[in-house]
Amino acid sequence: MVPLAHYLIFSGILFAIGLAGVIIRRNIIVILMCLEMMLSAANVTLVAFSRARGTEGIPVYDAQVLSLFIVAVAAAEVAIGLALIVAMFRARKSVETTSLNTLKD
Amino acid sequence: MTEQITSMYSWWEFAPSIALVALAIILLMADTFLPKFPKRAYAVAGAVGCFCAAYACWVQASGQYGVSALHTWLPVLPLIACLGCIATGICLLLNIDYHRITCESVNGGQSEEGAGEFSILPLIAAAGICALCNARDIVMLFVGLETVTLSSYVLVGYYRRNQGSIEAGIKYLILGALSTGLLVFGAAWYFGMTGSLSIDINSYLNALSGGPTQAPIIYSGFIAALCFMLAAGLFKIGGAPLHTWIPDVYQGAPTPVSAFLGVASKAAGFAFLIIILQPLSDIAALQSTPEITTYPGGIAFGLAIVAIATLLIGNLGAIPQRNAKRLLGYSSIGQAGFILAFFQGGNCSDCGVLFYLAAYGLATLPAFCAIALVRSQRGSEEISAFRGLARTNPRLAFLITVCFASLAGVPLTFGFLAKLSAIFFICEPQSAIIADWLNWTLLGVMIVCAAAGFYYYFKIIRAMYWEKPLPGDEALKLPVVTGFIITLCAVALLIIGTLPVFNARLFI
Repeated sequence: MVPLAHYLIFSGILFAIGLAGVIIRRNIIVILMCLEMMLSAANVTLVAFSRARGTEGIPVYDAQVLSLFIVAVAAAEVAIGLALIVAMFRARKSVETTSLNTLKD
Repeated sequence: MTEQITSMYSWWEFAPSIALVALAIILLMADTFLPKFPKRAYAVAGAVGCFCAAYACWVQASGQYGVSALHTWLPVLPLIACLGCIATGICLLLNIDYHRITCESVNGGQSEEGAGEFSILPLIAAAGICALCNARDIVMLFVGLETVTLSSYVLVGYYRRNQGSIEAGIKYLILGALSTGLLVFGAAWYFGMTGSLSIDINSYLNALSGGPTQAPIIYSGFIAALCFMLAAGLFKIGGAPLHTWIPDVYQGAPTPVSAFLGVASKAAGFAFLIIILQPLSDIAALQSTPEITTYPGGIAFGLAIVAIATLLIGNLGAIPQRNAKRLLGYSSIGQAGFILAFFQGGNCSDCGVLFYLAAYGLATLPAFCAIALVRSQRGSEEISAFRGLARTNPRLAFLITVCFASLAGVPLTFGFLAKLSAIFFICEPQSAIIADWLNWTLLGVMIVCAAAGFYYYFKIIRAMYWEKPLPGDEALKLPVVTGFIITLCAVALLIIGTLPVFNARLFI
């Protein structure tokens, strides 16, 4: 049995990589991937906690229900994100954040 | 778990959400299978639906009014849902007048194809707001918030022939998804530390009862989870470290959508903050020992710092703006700072938040209507495009003046009362849960920022009254619905603002 702390450290690292990627990377598709990674990190945490909080080997299913909702929302987010990226690529021939420069002070 | 859910929620609470989603699905079907049907009708039907939902929320609120063990309370959350529905309805009404622009920006204006969803998606967002305001567990909170956010992404990027709209959509999506990531990570830790997903005083006590000395891991993990979730709420309202999307998105989004984001979506953000923070206030009220009457873990301190930073960034950022929509974006950050001040009291579901939100929404909606009007007929949303309106449309200029004066907080308008209530709230020493010096700093910053507001809101009033119209400028033609909204809101701002003159006891 893998102890809870290992899952938490793993998901924490996953979350940190995702966050760093969103901040550092310039390609919007990569940024979307990093955002998904952050959501997956949350899912790993939830499922690990639902196991750890369970009694007699039966996990608390509430948390797993929430992680299903998170998966669904993540899918919707990616669908919208890719649609916007396609629209942006048609208009500017680029998917870099550096070309998002119309709106500024 | 099923019994748990049915005992926690009643169907009646979700009647407005369910009805709005049903209406949205019917309209989507009509949009698909009846392509000849005029798309303006969807906006009318949607607006009617939103107003009915607002009425239902109002009825729910009046059923809940009462006195609890701790304090007399107004049912703030259903009323915020009501406000969100009204604001969404008004934004849909705006779509009626600017339907032609939507068609042009979607498919070049040859047909109405693809313009229907623009009036249907706000309904789904409004359903999300209603569900969010009734949430008492993390799942409902998350789903409600994401319903609002996901429909907003589409709406912001809807004008796909407009570069600014797509850019705003992508910026909003990236930062919004980032805040979703923070929210779900916080939610996961919330579950881990409390052992349940319901948001109530018992789960909070479960995690906090050990305190920082006896159960340090649970305690600090819970505080971290709360901070992550609060960050998601601050993103929605434009709180200081997460405000960066607001000016860009407000400027680039279609104007009715900017109005929606400015009022309805922001109201949802405040409902979110209230739901998360209310159990903390209840715990603080239950404890009798003085050292635990504040929020644990420096949350109150952090919120005060965020409020100060939000006020400063919003108001200083607004000063140099020349684009009216961008100006309103920064102003909405600044106003959110004033509302955050209400969270410094012992009880965050105090009606002050609602009072200020109503004043802000009532003035911001007609301001966006005016910008849409000027933009569609003079082709620019710069402040200079308002030039000489006092000569060409004196009555319209007066109504717009009332709205911006209320945003600035001129006496005898609703906005003045709202600013005054925020400042009084901070002055009351017994309500303070932060250190004295921080409380007075916040008060000082609020007063300075209220003064700064006069400068930048009056730039638009100055353009209308002091600048001469250019030779080619004709009088603006006021479309019926826009004119109706602006008049109604301006009159309401004046009436509410002058009420205390006749009966001062109303507000004491």
